[in-house]
Amino acid sequence: MAKSNGENGPRAPAAGDSLSGTRESLAQGPDAATTDELSSLGSDSEANGFAERRIDKFGFIVGSQGAEGALEEVPLEVLRQRESKWLDMLNNWDKWMAKKHKKIRLRCQKGIPPSLRGRAWQYLSGGKVKLQQNPGKFDELDMSPGDPKWLDVIERDLHRQFPFHEMFVSRGGHGQQDLFRVLKAYTLYRPEEGYCQAQAPIAAVLLMHMPAEQAFWCLVQICEKYLPGYYSEKLEAIQLDGEILFSLLQKVSPVAHKHLSRQKIDPLLYMTEWFMCAFSRTLPWSSVLRVWDMFFCEGVKIIFRVGLVLLKHALGSPEKVKACQGQYETIERLRSLSPKIMQEAFLVQEVVELPVTERQIEREHLIQLRRWQETRGELQCCSPPRLHGAKAILDAEPGPRPALQPSPSIRLPPDVPLPGSKAKPKPPKQAQKEQRKQMKARGQLEKPPAPNQAMVVAAAGDACPPQHVPLKDSGPQDSAPQDSAPQVSAHHRSQESLTSQESEDTYL
Amino acid sequence: MGNGTEEDYNFVFKVVLIGESGVGKTNLLSRFTRNEFSHDSRTTIGVEFSTRTVMLGTAAVKAQIWDTAGLERYRAITSAYYRGAVGALLVFDLTKHQTYAVVERWLKELYDHAEATIVVMLVGNKSDLSQAREVPTEEARMFAENNGLLFLETSALDSTNVELAFETVLKEIFAKVSKQRQNSIRTNAIALGSAQAGQEPGPGEKRACCISL
Repeated sequence: MAKSNGENGPRAPAAGDSLSGTRESLAQGPDAATTDELSSLGSDSEANGFAERRIDKFGFIVGSQGAEGALEEVPLEVLRQRESKWLDMLNNWDKWMAKKHKKIRLRCQKGIPPSLRGRAWQYLSGGKVKLQQNPGKFDELDMSPGDPKWLDVIERDLHRQFPFHEMFVSRGGHGQQDLFRVLKAYTLYRPEEGYCQAQAPIAAVLLMHMPAEQAFWCLVQICEKYLPGYYSEKLEAIQLDGEILFSLLQKVSPVAHKHLSRQKIDPLLYMTEWFMCAFSRTLPWSSVLRVWDMFFCEGVKIIFRVGLVLLKHALGSPEKVKACQGQYETIERLRSLSPKIMQEAFLVQEVVELPVTERQIEREHLIQLRRWQETRGELQCCSPPRLHGAKAILDAEPGPRPALQPSPSIRLPPDVPLPGSKAKPKPPKQAQKEQRKQMKARGQLEKPPAPNQAMVVAAAGDACPPQHVPLKDSGPQDSAPQDSAPQVSAHHRSQESLTSQESEDTYL
Repeated sequence: MGNGTEEDYNFVFKVVLIGESGVGKTNLLSRFTRNEFSHDSRTTIGVEFSTRTVMLGTAAVKAQIWDTAGLERYRAITSAYYRGAVGALLVFDLTKHQTYAVVERWLKELYDHAEATIVVMLVGNKSDLSQAREVPTEEARMFAENNGLLFLETSALDSTNVELAFETVLKEIFAKVSKQRQNSIRTNAIALGSAQAGQEPGPGEKRACCISL
């Protein structure tokens, strides 16, 4: 503003070229390139000079999107109990899904223990099944050359996803490499869909919890089962969902609905990033994970509920609305939400209690679809109907298949007591060493245990490729039996069986 | 408009940033409104915006700069984005010829959704990467001239011409607005035909005009 330099305009610069001294954000300056090239050596964050920056428990540089001192930490015994229960569920997944799905849902609402989250997401989403059904497929896609048009765009995005997360901070680092591989694989898997930019943060969140191949199949499930059409050519699905969201808002918060109506604010102006990225770019990280836990279990209605809760609490009262007199101010308010309403415990409670059902969403979907057809003609992209969560996805799977077998990476010797039990456990390292010695002696490092062998405790992250367990035992020692529940629980005792009346921990 | 701590302003001009993914729209926005630049600013998915109030003569003008995703398929959801815009910066990356080659397509998209009177500047960004230039200045300048567009080369990274680019567009809009005011009797916010009305000032607050040309 050359002319106005001398004046003390409200926010005019003081002098002509005074905009010197770049106030850069946490990313590095123009010379970052050389440091970045070293990044694949050693720890990514150290090579980039991030050693002096504190990293939070989620991997974020402190002060960025990670939790800033989470208010509630789950007590350790509760965490261990939950891990026990989850291990039991994962080891008997098909049975649990068939008979006790409501319990799974409840546990997802309480939050999946961090050590098992990656595995649980794969089971819930059906990604694990997909992987089993398509052995070698990801490798095939991984090794194929991609369409240069897509690769070009993907490459531009690699350093723009969660750049303050240590996994993705380094250009050309392992995180960005895996992100590239997963996104490229998808464009080859579904060439008619290609790449949509919002898939990158989705894939990145998955990669924070599991390796590339597993992340790929979870991404496939999200794009095809949970949110079909979200990332497709005409983005019609997201537009429809914007209308559905707005429509549902009328009952949930008439005040917010009226205000947004009056201001003529198109839902796309606030819900696009929310929905397409499943809130991974909006909420504090602990809340993101809780939302995703529920989302994988219950489907898109969770996404709708989160949106409605945020809208209701941001704009749901006359006082709040008074502070947002214009279109711009309103959208601004929705982009800088109060931390209180995004906080984990509060948000989850609100979401769980909000009485918005799949049926209402589907009903509204039909209404909006009809409206679309009347005003804009037929949809150009016909997406398959979405499946509302883990049970629906499982039920939609065609034909019988081998039961999901656990493929854990750590096994305990038989006499090691499990967490939560009264006996003093051996120190874990020792137990592992012993086990490996035993296993080496038996030459059985890769095989699953026979029924009378040591029980299995899985380590975090189900990274081993699934074992192709034959349906018939070819020998007593060969494979874990199909119906492994009874023998399993003999050693791995959680506090319940499939039929017991358990007292669930009452912790939130 | 706004709360008590907001500075006063006479006008609000909505300006949109358009152009291919990765050309630097988000950084032009952050450089202009917050004097910030980041090599790793997040991919824009939805809509981002930011404001800055500048003085043009004696008038305080609040520039409301809007930014959105550049990827092709997002074109399907941008009509709300263009609504009420009086200025546009059509940005390309002068180190990637492909982003310049599609400028005509962007112009068409712009005129399909915005008013024909919208002030448009063609911006060749990343001028700091002089070694990697793929689009000659003259070529872009000629194109701009032939199509009635303003033109500048900028660098969001080192700030070159960023102020000037926005300032020029705002001045041009202001000039049109002033002319229109001279030509019309009423000085209230003028609504675009069937499009939605501009923003109304809150009661008791300094009147602001969200002008549509």
